[in-house]
Amino acid sequence: MKLNNYNQRLLNMEQRTKRFMLGALGAMLLVLLLIAIKQDYLVRSTAIYFFAPNAQGLNTGMAVKFIGFKVGSVKEVSMQPNATVRVKLSLDDEYVHLIGQDAKARLIKEALVGESVVEIIPGSQQVHQVTQNSVLQFERGQDAGSIAESMAAQLQPILSDIRQITSSINNPNGDIQQSLKNLNQLTGDLRETVKQFTLLGTSGNEKLESVHGKLDKALDSVNANLEVMDKAIPKLLDRADATLENVQTATSDIKQMAADSAGELPAFIHNSNALVQDSQDMLEGAKQSWPFNGWFSKPEAQVLPVDGYVSPEKP
Amino acid sequence: MMISSRLSLFMGLLACILFLTACGQTAPKRNARLELAAEHGQSAQRAYDRGDFHTALKQYEMALQIDVAVENVSGIAIDTLNLARVNQLLGKPEVANAYLDKLLQDSALEYEDIYLATAAAQKSLLLLQHGAVKEARLWLEKASEWCKEKCAIAIVIDNTRAAIALREKDAEQALHWGTKAASASRDSSPLEYANALRHMGEAKLMLGEFSAALHLAEEALVVDKLQGLPEKIRQDLLLAASAHDGLGNFEQSARFRERASRIIGR
Repeated sequence: MKLNNYNQRLLNMEQRTKRFMLGALGAMLLVLLLIAIKQDYLVRSTAIYFFAPNAQGLNTGMAVKFIGFKVGSVKEVSMQPNATVRVKLSLDDEYVHLIGQDAKARLIKEALVGESVVEIIPGSQQVHQVTQNSVLQFERGQDAGSIAESMAAQLQPILSDIRQITSSINNPNGDIQQSLKNLNQLTGDLRETVKQFTLLGTSGNEKLESVHGKLDKALDSVNANLEVMDKAIPKLLDRADATLENVQTATSDIKQMAADSAGELPAFIHNSNALVQDSQDMLEGAKQSWPFNGWFSKPEAQVLPVDGYVSPEKP
Repeated sequence: MMISSRLSLFMGLLACILFLTACGQTAPKRNARLELAAEHGQSAQRAYDRGDFHTALKQYEMALQIDVAVENVSGIAIDTLNLARVNQLLGKPEVANAYLDKLLQDSALEYEDIYLATAAAQKSLLLLQHGAVKEARLWLEKASEWCKEKCAIAIVIDNTRAAIALREKDAEQALHWGTKAASASRDSSPLEYANALRHMGEAKLMLGEFSAALHLAEEALVVDKLQGLPEKIRQDLLLAASAHDGLGNFEQSARFRERASRIIGR
């Protein structure tokens, strides 16, 4: 009876040990499955290509995005015999039907400072979808340099307006110079008139009529000049106002951008540095741990291949 | 029955523990200086692969400095050989020769035979390039002595023998060594396979077998285009042009020479 109980307990222990082992095995398989999913081993993908004039900003492993979602990655960047760069993209099959043959690949930065990604710009819906080994057109997105260029292009007309006003002021045939000239002439006329008026006083009443005439003429000239000035000055003031307003708007925009960035950029750069450092540390740690230590080969020095051909041409 | 199942359970557990212990083992770590030298070497290799020989030169020089500092003998040999190769590609054969002599005449350090064989083969090719056929043969024999079983540069030695035979106007010997090099390199080294095809093509030209020469030149051209080697492509086109000359296709010959003249090495 006692022996039977003992055997029963042993059987129970064996059953529990089996369950435990099965559970452990299941957990290991789950981990392997998760690694495989993370590494995209289970995702079916389609390889497509694009050609770029140079490899600046293009790296293996870069994300490929379509309307903001990651749909693949850059698998290979290689130089071609004709000095162009061929880039191989791997797209998840589930998104391929959304991308037409006339879609474009564009290299962009997601933020002012940050990782570059390859963005797929969708083509027209009527065109056939991309297939294995399709080739897309490539273009580079706007970077900080091109934004500065665009800003410079916007400031250009404002500066040219200011230059035009300045040259108009300096121009001897311009409205302002002409008005000043007329004023000078008017002052001279008045002086002459006063002189003649004095003469008039001495010569008597017989010349009063002619002085009157001259005085009228002078006053007419003053009126005419004042009219010219009345017309010219408001126009000039309007243009100056508009120009100054433009300059003010541009300056405040620039100031606002600088102020917005000033607070965030140092922290962003600092955080990015810390993030990169952490990632490097984690990667180094992972590289030295099982099972990853078998996946990464250490850099080993290698002898370059010797070329066993000598051209028959004389050196 | 019960004992055997417990035993199998125990054995299974033991196997699991041994498996996990084996997987957990890490390779012995290199010291920081050797790691740095290896990184310079890797960086140089990448620069070489994309044709940036100036950067490769700087990186190999830095790797050599570190390897000399820690007396890493194999590292010194590899860096010296690579510096010789890069200098040769940069059009400085005298510097390349000096590096090779440093390795071949070093009485203090003992290098592995494969490195000495590689240095001797490189020296032989340099001498051949400058028309010194006799000296080239001498150094090739030395390379052959150092090149034991499963030697990595055996194909290069065979190709160099073919090149020497061509300089000596011995088309049969050139064909023999070229064929040997081609069959050995067909699946392992496209660079040497194309070299062997070119040697065979030149030998066929000497023998007046122009159709065969043309065929070999065209095959070499396909291989070199796949590898993206401009100078080799130019040589293949010139060989094809000579074959067309022999066949009397002067129009075709002119076309191939024009194509060759448009290739600019970079």
